[in-house]
Amino acid sequence: MDFDFNDDQDLLRATTRAYLEKRSSIASRRPLLESPEVFDRRVWEEGAELGWTALLVATEYEGGSVSDQPLVDLVVLAEEFGRTLQPGPLIPTNVVADAIARFGSVEQRRAHLPGIVAGKTVAAWCMTADGSPDLGGISLRATTGPDGGFTLTGTAGYVHGATVADLFLVTAASEAGPAQFLVPATSAGVSVRRLVTLDLTRRFGEVHFDAVAVPAANELATGDSAVDVHNRALAVATVLQGAEAVGAAEHLFAVTLQYSKDRIQFGRPIGSFQAIKHRMADLAISVEAMRAATHYAALALADGLDDADEAIATAGSYVTEAHAFLCGECLQLTGGIGFTWEHDVHLFLRRARTDEVLYGDPPWHREELCRLITSTRTKEQP
Amino acid sequence: MDVRIPEIPASYDAYRDELRAFIAKHVPTLEMKPRSGLRVPDTAEDVEAQRNFVRALHDAGYRQDRFQAHDGDPFEQRILQQALSTVPEAAMGNPLVAGALKLFGTDDQKAKYLPPISRGDHIWSQLFSEPNAGSDLSNLKTRADLDGDVYVVNGQKVWTTWAQWSDYGYLLARTEPTPGPAGITAFVLDMKLPGVDVRPLREITGTTDFNEVFLTDVRVPVTDVIGQPGNGWKVTNMSLAMERSGIGGGGGGAVVGELIDAARLHNRRGRSAIEADDVRQGLARLAARSRIHRAIGHKIATRAAKGKLSVSDAPIGKIWFGELNLAMCEFALRLQGPRSALTEGDPAAYLDGVWQDRFLYARAWTIAGGSNEIMRNMIAERGLGLPKEPRGS
Repeated sequence: MDFDFNDDQDLLRATTRAYLEKRSSIASRRPLLESPEVFDRRVWEEGAELGWTALLVATEYEGGSVSDQPLVDLVVLAEEFGRTLQPGPLIPTNVVADAIARFGSVEQRRAHLPGIVAGKTVAAWCMTADGSPDLGGISLRATTGPDGGFTLTGTAGYVHGATVADLFLVTAASEAGPAQFLVPATSAGVSVRRLVTLDLTRRFGEVHFDAVAVPAANELATGDSAVDVHNRALAVATVLQGAEAVGAAEHLFAVTLQYSKDRIQFGRPIGSFQAIKHRMADLAISVEAMRAATHYAALALADGLDDADEAIATAGSYVTEAHAFLCGECLQLTGGIGFTWEHDVHLFLRRARTDEVLYGDPPWHREELCRLITSTRTKEQP
Repeated sequence: MDVRIPEIPASYDAYRDELRAFIAKHVPTLEMKPRSGLRVPDTAEDVEAQRNFVRALHDAGYRQDRFQAHDGDPFEQRILQQALSTVPEAAMGNPLVAGALKLFGTDDQKAKYLPPISRGDHIWSQLFSEPNAGSDLSNLKTRADLDGDVYVVNGQKVWTTWAQWSDYGYLLARTEPTPGPAGITAFVLDMKLPGVDVRPLREITGTTDFNEVFLTDVRVPVTDVIGQPGNGWKVTNMSLAMERSGIGGGGGGAVVGELIDAARLHNRRGRSAIEADDVRQGLARLAARSRIHRAIGHKIATRAAKGKLSVSDAPIGKIWFGELNLAMCEFALRLQGPRSALTEGDPAAYLDGVWQDRFLYARAWTIAGGSNEIMRNMIAERGLGLPKEPRGS
């Protein structure tokens, strides 16, 4: 039993935190909040040297991890990304890298993984049009051409990183059921509409595919294996989304706790009032719960534990919702100062509220969890 | 990162099989209806039957480490704990004093008191709370005044589980008139001594699990002080921490399954409740909280193993479990619809009112062992370093 990070992972965290503070702090990105783009490609390429895009990729494709649980290593990075509200598409790029590494052909791995690992290829995941993880909701169509290639037509919505991506992992409905394709952003017929979002720290796009020709060699999976790719991607995204939430929640809670000690009203620190103190205690509990749920999901997925599906659904049910609630509480406890544009708390709240709906919202994951637990409970009682 | 514990080797299968067979052969059938929580028999016959069962286990060599001077084989202990956790008949009294004795007791005290706990010869209870010292325990007023080689004890205790059948009590009393924790001392109290008056209390469940204990000029030998005089608060806090983490350790996994059963069985608008969206969402919320409870337990166990426990750990576990347990009970009643109005004794009651009893008893977990409000103060003040509440005089 060692349900914690190891020394190498702690070192990865320290290195990452120091780098992000120096090169991509929240304060340094403040002037960009309302600009069209917040992503800094130089930061991404430097981060790639620190392993941001390498962990889920085998060494023969230039990847490598710090432990034998690469997904847990990646949780460390995601927590640090969340802590400083990073704009970079850590989750989508790693989801795509993982999908290619696990399901791609040797040619596909050779073609894409080294570029992703080096930070030269930014990848984004076109899940569905409506942002729901239900494969039934795909409006993108892939039709087969006479040469064995495909033609993609339709839209994928709510795609983090779409505005800067070089490569898209696209799920489409084909004649053989759901299918995934690797589509370079430069392909003729691909266009991206930048979305105006509640979150100011990241950029999202709606990706349009207007009769985009995709060679047969770019098909990643089809039919049942495409469902596997989708489920795996969703599980990885859910874990990493949870980890970003954990990092953000830990930081915002610490800031709010300090404020409750420093802010004097009625001659006392406001944190001495039980009305505040008990809410702080509840938030401390929820941070511990978010951490426990996320780390267990990461561990279960990394090691392929029997209850991995339930662990993912549990994290998806709880973590982003608890995080959004925590951000709201922290804003409330920070009072009028927290309502100002200058204070960072709204950046956390905006992002947390967005996280809740990106990779299956909590009610979606709860339905999944209910399906799982009821399917294994067969005993009927009188 | 992992949550594995060393697998029990197959060479222990025989031990497990023999233990199970032994339990099956010796476990008594009690008059008392099985209920969840720390529940206490109504009859001396039941108590005697439990004693005989515990004695049989002890004499056959099935002995729990917590009552022994030296630890046994760790795999046998795990098998024993697993087996006993499903046999409430083997649990008697509130044996928290064992931890206090092991940490603070003299060799004589350990030799005199630990083996009879293990063998079921002595039943213990915990004499901490008072009518005016519940959440504010260090405000306790029971006095223990030194008179030669005895302390003369006067006062009143309450919420004392098992006191009506106890041989000994783990007592906190004030040996110095100073207010607060400084003047408190921990004692072994022989419940048969003159001046100990136990009056059973009937609780909201209708059952009698707690007692009031009146202490009038009870003469306790100085050799029955646990630890040093004036050191009782420290002794207590360690015991309570053990109790809270014990409460937090109670699982919720089995109960989620029972909720699924109840949801399948009861109808809403002509359909099984399990098909209703709000029921499915509610079930999943509880299942998630239950699984997170287990994961928090892994976090705490990891910190314990590294000697990095935080003062917040036990309170977090207790709050999480107490609130989850209450939420599950309330959910189970809602699933039953109008039928939830029926309770034990009505032939149409669901499972003879087991959920109604659990629903009422659930408040014991949110109040006993330090109410959840006190737990929140502990997390905030001792864990997070927030300023203490101003205290009245």
